[in-house]
Amino acid sequence: MTAFDYTGAPYAIRDDIGREHRAFWQRLARPGSWWTGKERVAIARASRRAWTCRLCAARKAALSPDTVQGEHDDDGELPPAAVDAVHRIVTDQSRITRRYVEDNVTAGLSKPAYVELIGVVVAVVSIDEFHRALALKPEPLPVPQPGDVSRYQPAMLREDIGFVPTVPPEGAIGNEADIWPPMRAANVVRALSLVPDALRDWRALASAQYLSFVGMQNFVKDEARHLDRMQMELVAARVSAVNECFY
Amino acid sequence: MMLRASAQATSTEVDIRAVNGHAGSAAIGIEFGPELLRFAESVALRSPDLPERRRELLEVAGPAVLVDAAGVAANFQRMVRIADATGIPLDSTAVEASRELRSELHMERFPTARYPLPAK
Repeated sequence: MTAFDYTGAPYAIRDDIGREHRAFWQRLARPGSWWTGKERVAIARASRRAWTCRLCAARKAALSPDTVQGEHDDDGELPPAAVDAVHRIVTDQSRITRRYVEDNVTAGLSKPAYVELIGVVVAVVSIDEFHRALALKPEPLPVPQPGDVSRYQPAMLREDIGFVPTVPPEGAIGNEADIWPPMRAANVVRALSLVPDALRDWRALASAQYLSFVGMQNFVKDEARHLDRMQMELVAARVSAVNECFY
Repeated sequence: MMLRASAQATSTEVDIRAVNGHAGSAAIGIEFGPELLRFAESVALRSPDLPERRRELLEVAGPAVLVDAAGVAANFQRMVRIADATGIPLDSTAVEASRELRSELHMERFPTARYPLPAK
């Protein structure tokens, strides 16, 4: 069966959306830079379980998440620090701190591994949320592919924004020449650049679900969309406000 | 900021308070604004009224608009998590440009507002 076959959906889904969802599912199953295919699919599975995790619900309701101890709803496929990071990114992301990320390094979750984990979690969340918004069933997770991790890191990195190193604006050269066009390195674009393939996934999904880098420069209306830019930004801004996103 | 920029690009008057959930404000200058706002909010809150909000948007705007709105909402469920999980600050170029907007929308109440703003 083809993944993301939207031909039976109650609403016509644009071809580019199905194409990018399928392409990400294939990449999800393959070894990444820091996690194997099996681990990446396990991260995806943990992302789905987080929504109904009782510990996460209790932490979300607490004044501070650290005051609530317990065990996550977890199948034991990932190290505890990774499970906790997945669940926090899904359910309580606005209270992730620099100290939390640094403590995870001590617990064995390196910053590059954390960034790749973020990339997997947010892509799965985004695809699943698209399905939920349209009352479509979640896509079954892919079968993991064998192989080794690459342990690839960009040559040029800087620790000047956020909790993790990132490629600086002028660092889109060499193997990273494609990651952003000149003058398009906003902090949210740089955020995942420690793992360039995570950023590439970000761009590919955004180009279908929202806009490409080129499309973002059009503040009136992208001809391939049925919403004008104001309508898109109203939706984007309300979702961000509900999530209390300052950025 | 992007909502305001897109309104300025078409010389359209909008009421930015829509971002904080005022459906009446969303009706100003934005076609299907109230329905889009309520749909987006329902997705982000994972509210049980999502079927109703989906039907409401579908009835006034049609399936193509509904699908695109679902795509944008899903995309920004992702973007907020990238921004917060990596702790990125506001871009230095946006600090001044967004000062009034941040005040107008009371954004200092958000937990991630604790991060220092970058110098210009």
